[in-house]
Amino acid sequence: MSGFDRRQFLKLTGGSSVVALSGLAGCSGGPSGGAETTDNSDGGSGDDETTTQSTDEVDANIGMVYATGGLGDGSFNDQAQSGLKDANEEWDLAYEEAQPENVSDFANYQEQFAQSTDPEYDLISTIGFLQADALSETAADYPDQKFMIVDSVVEEPNVNSYVFAEHEGSYLAGQLVAMLTSTEFSAGAAETVSDEKTVGFVGGVQSDLIEKFEAGFRAGVADIDDEISIQSSYVGDFNDPSGGKEAALTMYGDGADFVYHAAGNTGTGVFQAAQEEGRFAIGVDRDQSLTKDSYADVILASMVKRVDTAVYNAIDGVVEGTFEGGNVTPLGLQDEGVALVYGDEIGSDVPSDVVDTVDSARQAIIDGDISVPTSPDDV
Amino acid sequence: MSLRDRLEAVLARLVRASATERILISSASLLLSVLVGFVLILMAGRMTSCGTAAVSYFGVGFCYDPFLVFNKLFLGALGNPINPDFNPLQGEFGAIIRPGFDLLNGQLATTLSETTILIFAGLAVAVAFRAGIFNIGAQGQLVMGALATAIVLLYVAPFVSGAFGTLVLLTLGILIGATAGGAFAAIPGALLAYAEANEVITTIMLNFVATAIALYLAANRFKDPESFANQTVALPDVALFPNVVFQPRDDFSLLALGFAIVLVFAIWYLLTRTALGYDIRTSGIQPTAAEYAGVDAERTIVTSMVLSGALAGVGGAVYVLMVLGNFQTGVPSYGFDGITVSILAGNSPLGVGFAALLFGVLKSGSIVVDVGSDVPPQLVGVLRGLIILFVAMPEFFRLIGARILPENIAEPEQAAPDGGEVTDDE
Repeated sequence: MSGFDRRQFLKLTGGSSVVALSGLAGCSGGPSGGAETTDNSDGGSGDDETTTQSTDEVDANIGMVYATGGLGDGSFNDQAQSGLKDANEEWDLAYEEAQPENVSDFANYQEQFAQSTDPEYDLISTIGFLQADALSETAADYPDQKFMIVDSVVEEPNVNSYVFAEHEGSYLAGQLVAMLTSTEFSAGAAETVSDEKTVGFVGGVQSDLIEKFEAGFRAGVADIDDEISIQSSYVGDFNDPSGGKEAALTMYGDGADFVYHAAGNTGTGVFQAAQEEGRFAIGVDRDQSLTKDSYADVILASMVKRVDTAVYNAIDGVVEGTFEGGNVTPLGLQDEGVALVYGDEIGSDVPSDVVDTVDSARQAIIDGDISVPTSPDDV
Repeated sequence: MSLRDRLEAVLARLVRASATERILISSASLLLSVLVGFVLILMAGRMTSCGTAAVSYFGVGFCYDPFLVFNKLFLGALGNPINPDFNPLQGEFGAIIRPGFDLLNGQLATTLSETTILIFAGLAVAVAFRAGIFNIGAQGQLVMGALATAIVLLYVAPFVSGAFGTLVLLTLGILIGATAGGAFAAIPGALLAYAEANEVITTIMLNFVATAIALYLAANRFKDPESFANQTVALPDVALFPNVVFQPRDDFSLLALGFAIVLVFAIWYLLTRTALGYDIRTSGIQPTAAEYAGVDAERTIVTSMVLSGALAGVGGAVYVLMVLGNFQTGVPSYGFDGITVSILAGNSPLGVGFAALLFGVLKSGSIVVDVGSDVPPQLVGVLRGLIILFVAMPEFFRLIGARILPENIAEPEQAAPDGGEVTDDE
């Protein structure tokens, strides 16, 4: 006698599974029949929408390997995904998306895509500079497979690399806040403290790439007024909103009028802090006054980095047959690869003379009259 | 029979289970978790929308096919050995093994490479657990081991060459990893032994310390100037594990797996057949009695923590010398997975090997699922968690039961007497 009643157990488990199955019928969604891709009404960013057509019916099969952190970060990966979505509206694509958890998994993910025969992928997009080491091996092993990488250069004949001039876009963000911090300026839910000439920068994980943002920002501020003090802090994580909030609160507490972030989802905390303190924040990667619209009343501008353009261009090349491997495409201010976009809600309050100064700085960088440093040590 | 008596009877039954029964229980749990996973996948397949149904049952279409998911999860991790034409359910009897299947494929290499490192991490946690210490700091110890190995070998590697040089460097690298991990674990060990500082708190905090030290050194002093990433300069090939039969790009060496298996038996021997092992086990079971029997409690605590940290450090060294070839920040959570591996194995060194293999299969298989199906990675994570949970639960209850039940439960016919102290019968 073990004290178990087997029949009772079966009744319980059997009963629950029947309940579960009958509950299924009530779920919304499910296949819509043999139609083409349906629009998703969930609005969740993690939903894959892959057409299950046979491979010869589509224009191209695309494999996406996102950066660690995955989709739903509101900046980098989502921006890459929107390039894929745009291309999918233009052409008839089938795509598969993968979100590795660790840097050491990249090689395996890339290999899985490259050796896949059902479907054969026409292009494999690798997002983020941490994939570069793995990709230089994978691309050499699969010379007939076309690849693209964002944020890094891989010198293989079958890889197209896309790099951005983050420092140049950040320079403009620096110019904007430097001109406003010493004036009395208010817009939306925020205003400057006129007697304090302080601005802040919050970074995610300290690395050469994020330091490009900081360097450009510092240079942009210093070229307006080198009296302005610039506080900078690296939270150590791209997905730590509370850490971002702490860092930004400290800066606002020290009189900072603006905090610019390059920290992915950590930057959400910066926006929270800005709202609490009634000061301004500058977004990054996407127009965050749209993607994080609950903070639109404090986001004065965003330094947009068009990862989507890179993805779209690479897909364009594959579909139209113009893809030539081994190219490096720099995306700077000139081709809108990076740009300073004013906030959707309060951006129009920026005085026109400030806007003109920023515009002329942009032109000066394009013309080569201003060269922006890429390391904070050189500012 | 009150509910409490009943629960105790069940616990007692679990505690008494023989090794064969335990394996059977684990297998049954695995099967059950797959069944539950099936239902979950079907439900998730009704909650999303897709163009065409992946599969339909009873006239209801579903977006995800559970058969496909579990096929890719378990067999994908081995490189899909099964021939698609072999399907007894549909009456197709082709050859069982897929034509062109190569046993030495990249996916199996990934599986075994994960397994290898998890063996070290699992052993590390198991040794501490057996001494009654919760070493939550295996992750930090592993990071320190990896970092020290990558940095020291950079300076030593230029002086040797050839096969003999590889042997020297590998031995040295593993020793350095063990030393760094062991030294880092000695800190919470000493704090626990001599200041009675709760080891769970100290080891968790030291994980952050290790990560911060690693980030600082890899981003500044030892950074590879050529790279955007925070990583050290790549070690020369002479310092890395030779790929015995697998491809060099697969980042896996049978040599390392062999070493891990040897260590499994060595730790088993140490725990069960030596005086030190006796000390460790008795302090884990009953510290007061061990002290009475002449075991030096403080020294045993420090020793078992150092041994535990050294094993984790070796895991870090192997991660650098087999997988990465340098040190890079963002080390996967091997140390934390090691805790689960150890509990899954009932803290037995021999069981750690099998538990690590299960983990390796799930890790590598989930990559295949992620790439080869539309199932979102979050759902695959849930399935992985389910499997681990189901397999670990009986072992977990066994450990709890062994701890709270009175000693005289060996007689199955005897009604269980009242338990010693009041506990949560959850």
